[in-house]
Amino acid sequence: MVSEGDYVAIFNSIHRVMKAERLLKDRRLPMLLIPAPRALSADCGLAIRYAAVDRQAVEEALTGGGLAPEHVYVKKGKEFVKAEISDR
Amino acid sequence: MKIIDCRNMACPLPVVSVKRALAESPGEALQVLLDEGAPQENVARFAVNRGFSVAESVEEDGVTLMITGTAVPICAGEVSTVGPTVMLVTSDCLGTGPEELGRLLMKNFIITLLDLDHLPDRLLLVNSGVLLATEGSEVLEALEQLGSRGVDILSCGICLDYFHRRNKLVAGAVTNMLTIAESLLTAARVVRP
Repeated sequence: MVSEGDYVAIFNSIHRVMKAERLLKDRRLPMLLIPAPRALSADCGLAIRYAAVDRQAVEEALTGGGLAPEHVYVKKGKEFVKAEISDR
Repeated sequence: MKIIDCRNMACPLPVVSVKRALAESPGEALQVLLDEGAPQENVARFAVNRGFSVAESVEEDGVTLMITGTAVPICAGEVSTVGPTVMLVTSDCLGTGPEELGRLLMKNFIITLLDLDHLPDRLLLVNSGVLLATEGSEVLEALEQLGSRGVDILSCGICLDYFHRRNKLVAGAVTNMLTIAESLLTAARVVRP
């Protein structure tokens, strides 16, 4: 479910991840709530996936809405590489 | 070569006897005498599913199956069953509780299936479960991947009509109650999340 170059945001709370999904849906930003990839630890087992092209808009919306993710990763080959959260 | 006579045995004894005989003498050819019809079909299906070669010949008083080859190893934890595994999804929510949570759990469940090695042979979507396979569903990508891995995804036609979604079906095909009932009754396992 996560393709090369996709971003995955981890929130360590089911309520935060659900709020984040709602906020992004309200803003009509393309993303998908997915089970957190096994390689990443997420207490609630869920993550939000979005494409690189939507990254800035998604992360700014989350940060602006007080729902900054705990961590953001980008899929590179078989690995998930930690990325800085965009909060401008 | 080993020979066993499974004629006049009630289901599932023929399959059980064949399974035992194959396990006792791995690699050795096994000749099985069986009644025609269901016992013959069940034993043949069992052997083929396990990776054996099966040659059938009709005799005067039944059929003979010649089972040769070696079994494909069964992984630890795999459930040994004969026949298809059918998953029946009767709602777009998983479990009873807040709808928002139920929808999230169902979505999470369907996507998680992609991580499993043993997938159901067939996924039956009934009642609001059909909404999972129609336009706007967030699990279409996952259902399409399941479909490409051989899962037969079928949505109830009456249900699609009820929700006015028949022309919005994206993943899998439309089916009727006859196929749904038959799938459930001929399945080795029915899994209902």
